[in-house]
Amino acid sequence: MTDLLTKNFAEHWVLDPVAGLAGVADVSVVAGQIVSVTWRDGEGAARACWAAGANPGPSDPTVALLPALIDLHAHFRQPGANASEDVESGTRAAARGGYGTVALMPNTEPAADNAETLRAAIAGERHGVQLLPIAAATVGRAGTQVSDVAALVKAGAVAISDDGSPIADRAIFRAALLAAAAAGIPLIEHCEEPVLTVGGEAADGLVASRLGLRPWPATGELRAVESAIAVLRDVVASAPTVRLHLTHLSTAAALAAVRSAQGEGLPLTCDVTPHHIALTDAWIAGDRRWAWEVATADEFLTPTANAFDSNLRVCPPLRAAFDAAACREALRDGTALAIGTDHAPHSREKKEVEFGLATNGIAGIETCLSVALAAHRAEELSLATIVAALTTGPARLLGVAATGVTPGALASLVQINLAATWRPSRATLLGRSINTPLLERELPGVVQMTVLKGNSAYQK
Amino acid sequence: MVTQFAPPQEQSRRHLLDVAGYDWSSLQKLLASAAEMQRLLDSRAGGSNALRGVGVTTLFYEPSTRTRISFEAAAAALGARVTTFNVATSSVGKGESLIDTVRTLEALRTQVIVLRHERAGAPWLAARHFGGSIVNAGDGWHAHPTQALLDLSVLSRHLGHSGGSLAGRRIAIVGDLLHSRVVRSNLHTLTTAGATVVLTGPASLTKGFAEHASSFRDTPGSVQLVGSIDEALSEADAVMALRIQRERLTPGERDSLEAYRASWGLTESRLAALAPRALVLHPGPMNEGVEIDPDVADGPRSLVLEQVRAGIPMRMAVLQQVVSEARA
Repeated sequence: MTDLLTKNFAEHWVLDPVAGLAGVADVSVVAGQIVSVTWRDGEGAARACWAAGANPGPSDPTVALLPALIDLHAHFRQPGANASEDVESGTRAAARGGYGTVALMPNTEPAADNAETLRAAIAGERHGVQLLPIAAATVGRAGTQVSDVAALVKAGAVAISDDGSPIADRAIFRAALLAAAAAGIPLIEHCEEPVLTVGGEAADGLVASRLGLRPWPATGELRAVESAIAVLRDVVASAPTVRLHLTHLSTAAALAAVRSAQGEGLPLTCDVTPHHIALTDAWIAGDRRWAWEVATADEFLTPTANAFDSNLRVCPPLRAAFDAAACREALRDGTALAIGTDHAPHSREKKEVEFGLATNGIAGIETCLSVALAAHRAEELSLATIVAALTTGPARLLGVAATGVTPGALASLVQINLAATWRPSRATLLGRSINTPLLERELPGVVQMTVLKGNSAYQK
Repeated sequence: MVTQFAPPQEQSRRHLLDVAGYDWSSLQKLLASAAEMQRLLDSRAGGSNALRGVGVTTLFYEPSTRTRISFEAAAAALGARVTTFNVATSSVGKGESLIDTVRTLEALRTQVIVLRHERAGAPWLAARHFGGSIVNAGDGWHAHPTQALLDLSVLSRHLGHSGGSLAGRRIAIVGDLLHSRVVRSNLHTLTTAGATVVLTGPASLTKGFAEHASSFRDTPGSVQLVGSIDEALSEADAVMALRIQRERLTPGERDSLEAYRASWGLTESRLAALAPRALVLHPGPMNEGVEIDPDVADGPRSLVLEQVRAGIPMRMAVLQQVVSEARA
């Protein structure tokens, strides 16, 4: 592919999370390379602007330019479920969502517990998107025998995880954590205590009770988080390179436990998903307000015609506004280093069924940035927080270099109109599966162009 | 504050998915219509041709006796073409989805599907993919709107003020609340009718109902959860025992049915001591000797068979309503 971009991005709202700069700037790209970045008010002002949250004022430009995004948690379903998504469709969707780097979870069929499957999971047309495979932590993701982590790292694995399931056996979890530490990569854990969550359809609470849905209690996440932290605390002295990352945390209690463990100095990180920061379980009853629009005593309980949308069936389940607020607070205070999409495409056969029979998951890689920008519009998250959670944060976990808006570097950039809006639909989404509860909803932030390594990867 | 996505009067009555959102005047209209249907049933003609040519299919994914037969009798009494969809011998066994099934029924000229399903919300999915009317005949633990409506008609007849209101009446509901679609729907109708509903049952089977009860704040009536059957029965005007759903119990729980009766069963001695005039209801099918004793179920205070009889006119009223709304 030699379609190197030459373009002058004049008068853009430029965000550089690597250098910590934000403000109005002209960015010139010639033959795929960033040749100059001129900050209108100088670099000192740009540094202060980033530190203040990087939010544009009313008279600032509404078209932003930022580095291509990094997702630490997606499912492209290859091999095994290519009808739901594959590398070609997944990367096309990723570029459309502003992503340049995507880490893929290993719960493919077969599981990516060997070098061959790991390579197969990232093979094919990639539209310029860099794919980072995460390997299965245990053989067959069965939770009984730790994978050959050294061989998997040699084959390109950036982390190990049994995502989709927890590693329930604490001895195996400990062994996996040590194997990852020895190989210099993190273990990413899906925190769920199966004994407490089996059959769960919706978060334990008033919405589930009113709708007659089987409860998935918050303790189902908290117990697993506490237990994982206990193992980490136990091994950290003997394994100084150990790193544990807890993915898609959804409850205030679990995030508080992580914050406290980080306070002890444990090598622990976590991420939250776009749907857990922005949606609530009341959406299952048909509510369509953002989580931050719900007042504490405000309840939405009478099911509307939209109720029981299976696109809202997800693990962990959507929760109360209180938990969604805790997820946003975790991003603001750094407890969570990333927003991971948990992009989980599923075919219509798996989703267009009864709520309790639907497979868990939301396809979110094309809407994540817009959902985060909706939180920004509501003054819930600063642009600096959002951009860091979508670039430098996940880069830190995955051990890759985040790209900035750096003169001399190959351009990997997203141009996005912050003032414009769009509606996700079968016509506008590029992924193979459109299982999102945001269909036809007006969302802020239209990606106009994604440039990856100097080439145009997506153009609206 | 309870926020409605759309005001109740704006919600479509083409389907009957739930009684949540029905205000008192909507409920009164159905009560009056059911009374009219009862007169029709008692008349020499024994029915009408109001739904002549209308295809009504009962689509039951869970076993049922009274609800299915009651709907089929109601549809027949209005002159509808009634079809029983046998899930066990149909293409559903070959993996046909609910959406495909309702689309197929639509192509086969069914205008009304009466749907019973083991999963909460299945009627909402069906309604989004069906051009006719869906009537919810029970979805999982969630809702059983026609049961609640017929219970309301029976209670209004015996305990209602003029217009059928249950203001000031105490209705106790005892037993397995957690798995009960009957209690969830009855909470809507009874509180909207003005009753005070007192809930009780074993802790493991009332999980979540303290918060659930206190969420009925903006209705004319109210709901409270109490810790013992004695407290629930005290001054009750009526008491409804819920079926212990053996298939939903763990083996350990199944072993303790005798203990259940001792703590939570509607027994003659308990009723005589605490609520001698209370009327007795049960949505059926009954586990006699577990949640209700045979002499109570068959005794003078029992409305159990009246409940069953009330099913036909109320379901006629519901079928009439959804068809006329679909035609409108």
